[in-house]
Amino acid sequence: MDLRQRNLLRKRLATLQAAAWLMVLGLGLVYAWLQVVRRSELQQLALSQAVKVRTTPAPRGIIFDRNGHRLVDNRRALHLVIQQEDLPKEASQVESLAQALEQDPAQLARRVQMARSAGMKRSLIVQDNLDDSGLARAENLRARFPFLSIEVAPRRVYQGDELAAHVLGYVGEVNPQLMSKEPGRYQLGEIVGRSGFEAARNDLLKGQDGQRKSLVDHLGREVALYGLENSTPGQSVYLTLDSGLQKTMQDAFGEERGAGVVIDLRDGGILALYSSPSFDPNAFLGHMSQEDVDLYVRNPTQPMLDRATQGLYPPGSTYKLLIALCALEKGIISPESTFTCHGRKTYYGREFRCDGVHGTLNLVQAIARSCDVYFYELGARLDVDEIHATAAKYGLTELTQVDLPNELPSRIPSRDWKARHGRKEKKWYAGETISVAIGQGQNGVTPIALARFYAMLGAKGKVLTPHLLYGQRDESGQMKIIPPQKPRDAGLDPKVWAVLDEGLYEVVRSGTAHKSALPGVTMCGKTGTSQVTTFVDKAHYRTLAKQFRDNALFAGYAPRENPQIAWAVVVENAGFGADAAAPIARKLCQYWFLDRLKKPLPPPGGKLPDAFEEPQSDEAEQDQEPAAPPKPQADGAR
Amino acid sequence: MNLPMTPGALNKSTRNLDPVLLFLVLVLSTLGTLTLYSAGKGTAHQALWLRQSVWNGLGLLAMLLLSRFDYRRLAQSSLSIYITGLLGLLVVLVIGHTVSGSKSWLTWGGISLQPSEFVKWIVLLFVAHRLGTKSPEGLTNWDLVGAAGLLFFPMFLVLKQPDLGVAMTYSPILLLFPLLRGIRWRWVVAGVLGFTLLSTVVWNYKLKTYQKERILTFIDPSRDLKGKGYQVNQSRIAIGAGGLWGKGFMSGSQTQLNFLPVKTTDFVFSVWAEERGFVGILIALALFGVLLHRILAIAGEATTAIGTYFCVGAAGIFGFHILINIGMVSGALPTTGIPLPFFTYGGSSTLAFFLALGIIMNIHHQAKSR
Repeated sequence: MDLRQRNLLRKRLATLQAAAWLMVLGLGLVYAWLQVVRRSELQQLALSQAVKVRTTPAPRGIIFDRNGHRLVDNRRALHLVIQQEDLPKEASQVESLAQALEQDPAQLARRVQMARSAGMKRSLIVQDNLDDSGLARAENLRARFPFLSIEVAPRRVYQGDELAAHVLGYVGEVNPQLMSKEPGRYQLGEIVGRSGFEAARNDLLKGQDGQRKSLVDHLGREVALYGLENSTPGQSVYLTLDSGLQKTMQDAFGEERGAGVVIDLRDGGILALYSSPSFDPNAFLGHMSQEDVDLYVRNPTQPMLDRATQGLYPPGSTYKLLIALCALEKGIISPESTFTCHGRKTYYGREFRCDGVHGTLNLVQAIARSCDVYFYELGARLDVDEIHATAAKYGLTELTQVDLPNELPSRIPSRDWKARHGRKEKKWYAGETISVAIGQGQNGVTPIALARFYAMLGAKGKVLTPHLLYGQRDESGQMKIIPPQKPRDAGLDPKVWAVLDEGLYEVVRSGTAHKSALPGVTMCGKTGTSQVTTFVDKAHYRTLAKQFRDNALFAGYAPRENPQIAWAVVVENAGFGADAAAPIARKLCQYWFLDRLKKPLPPPGGKLPDAFEEPQSDEAEQDQEPAAPPKPQADGAR
Repeated sequence: MNLPMTPGALNKSTRNLDPVLLFLVLVLSTLGTLTLYSAGKGTAHQALWLRQSVWNGLGLLAMLLLSRFDYRRLAQSSLSIYITGLLGLLVVLVIGHTVSGSKSWLTWGGISLQPSEFVKWIVLLFVAHRLGTKSPEGLTNWDLVGAAGLLFFPMFLVLKQPDLGVAMTYSPILLLFPLLRGIRWRWVVAGVLGFTLLSTVVWNYKLKTYQKERILTFIDPSRDLKGKGYQVNQSRIAIGAGGLWGKGFMSGSQTQLNFLPVKTTDFVFSVWAEERGFVGILIALALFGVLLHRILAIAGEATTAIGTYFCVGAAGIFGFHILINIGMVSGALPTTGIPLPFFTYGGSSTLAFFLALGIIMNIHHQAKSR
């Protein structure tokens, strides 16, 4: 090789060396692009596929009755779910899954789509509450649909099934309506209270969800825990309810329709609240069977309706106490004033009837025997707006503010009300006031409002706020009482009150409800029979179909010496209040004042906390009616 | 020339053992083995780094031995070596072991060898020997066509396995020689036009849809996100996640959580990229650059044309491996299974790379000891 050639070779090799370095530079630029320019974007991608954030749902608070008996408990449930990151993208997959699960493909596809677009943090439940065979089927499905997984989640268990369904309500996945009503408050897939106390105090019961960040490998298997935020369980609470009394009420209603409420006169706590027919909240926790839908949702007897807070009933004769109160306060009558009943009387050219021919009676007698003519007379002397004003003064026109959702206000007619709500006529006729005076006509009250009115009578003019929340469970598992709202003093004249009390006492002692008198317990109350259809004569009455019969009512308080409880009971289409409703109230008093102390429920913690005996802090004591020991009544029963 | 077995000769040869190449090969194989250790940790490939260390040790020994053996004597026997290599490829086709679709392995007593990895160096040696009678400028087109003919048989046999990746690594042997000789621009233009025309015709009239799809996926892996596209995508994420300084040894999430596929073989460089970052990439690229630079420098020193041809071809083969593999894992080049020298796990390729370096060291040695 000569020198010229060697130089040429050197030049060409140098060119090749330059090419090699150019190649290295080019590769370096590619890596600079990835590692310097696109670094954060790719790091984010790496993180997002390796770190999975899953919500761990907080268990909801447990609900106890006032004695510490569990009304709602939590169990572990297994759900077949799809994790957010595994949501299938192909429509065919969703469709075949729906077929395998025997679900509506369109609905499942909609849920999958919704879960994806809303960026749901929770897993999508495709089948809930798997039992053993369901679990076996689910495992088989997982082989076919690898995006499925099985998740453990807390599940509500409602003890006593139908016992307190309308009080407790039930929980379920939040629905789009609820989410659009309060945007930002709920997360898709969240379990929320859907009715009853569960819904009313969802804030208290729901707890704080936790987060589980885990490092997963390429197969989605958890390799390590990356970060854990424990969930905070919801607040466990004690209700004012007494499950024994509640059970007594449930049994007393039996197959009858209606509702009853018992209120603790010291603080307004609801001791029992039952709406019949009831339903089993456990049936609403997951996918409902067709059988349950037919039984509860499509049933014309409306088991889902809480008649205690949403049922509007004409109060019938139970309304007479309001009229009497109004008349006494207006000075239209004195306690001694008498009217004579001939069984019927004509006002404004129309004849109004009475149940019997009562002769001459004073107010106490008129209440005891439920004379309509006496109250027609009062109605003729009163103005409807005066009645309305008295109702408002004693809290009958307003919502009771009970901690249950969707309470309906009672309908207490007035001129103004008719002008706004009257269907054809906007003008009030004096004749209508006659009907109003015996609780017919446009009147409509909810059982809870009626119970509160009688609680007000029992408490000598204190307007209580009925409530279910009694206390909450502190860290040591003890109950911490939540102070109830202070009652409003409506300023009932003690002399006026004494007359009404006398009347109510006579109802049970010698009047319409004397058959329901309970030896040893001095019950005070008022029967009511409200017309559902136009009046027909008594002979014809027995032939009427059940749904046209009158509603039976009985409201009152006991014991007379030192009232502790007040109640209202409405039995739909059951006939006379004395026959159908008063016996239920009698059973309630029998249980509360006699049986409860003799045969208490098995105590939860070794001691049966008695609502009337419980030592309370001085401060709480001042907020409430001074409570006298209930023992005398109990002992006096023997 | 005899083997330099006298003490004086050994002294001389030790002095002339190229320190740059020795340094590079030691550093690169050490880095490669460490990366394999991290990549295999906790998987079925946990022990691969140990096996690779054994191969490195054997390779180092073979390289040192070959660096003392006169390459011209080796070149003289290159015809018989070439024929032995072809026979080896034939044997593989008959009794070979199939791994991931390619029948390219001879397995004997727990040791697997891939003859095709050695054959590329054998072909290079044989071609260098055949062309070695002429200086680079003296090469005629016919010489090159003849050399191409020598390449045809082994490439055909490797494609039969089929192993497109390895077959492609044979091509740089020829591509660089026209450059070395000097090439007219019109030939380059004619070549490009001819290739374009030919491929257009083949594409439109000869290929079936699935074949087109396969080629398109080869060019753009993102068309097949669950297969090759998935691999490249994960590899890019791993590289990018490494950032400037890297996640640190054994700390790459892509690597350790197995998001990165075939991380001990084809994609091992992304493990390096994730754990060492851009700084590590620059170091590795610099080492490879110096390697190529040094081999081409030795090509210039060579006392014979055979030596020059061998070094240039070797630089081509090394460069091709580096370009395709590092380009592939970053998604800049199509995905194809080509090992990265001293990083990718593999006995045959590692041993072959060491042997080639042994010959280059001898070429250097001969030049120095003249």
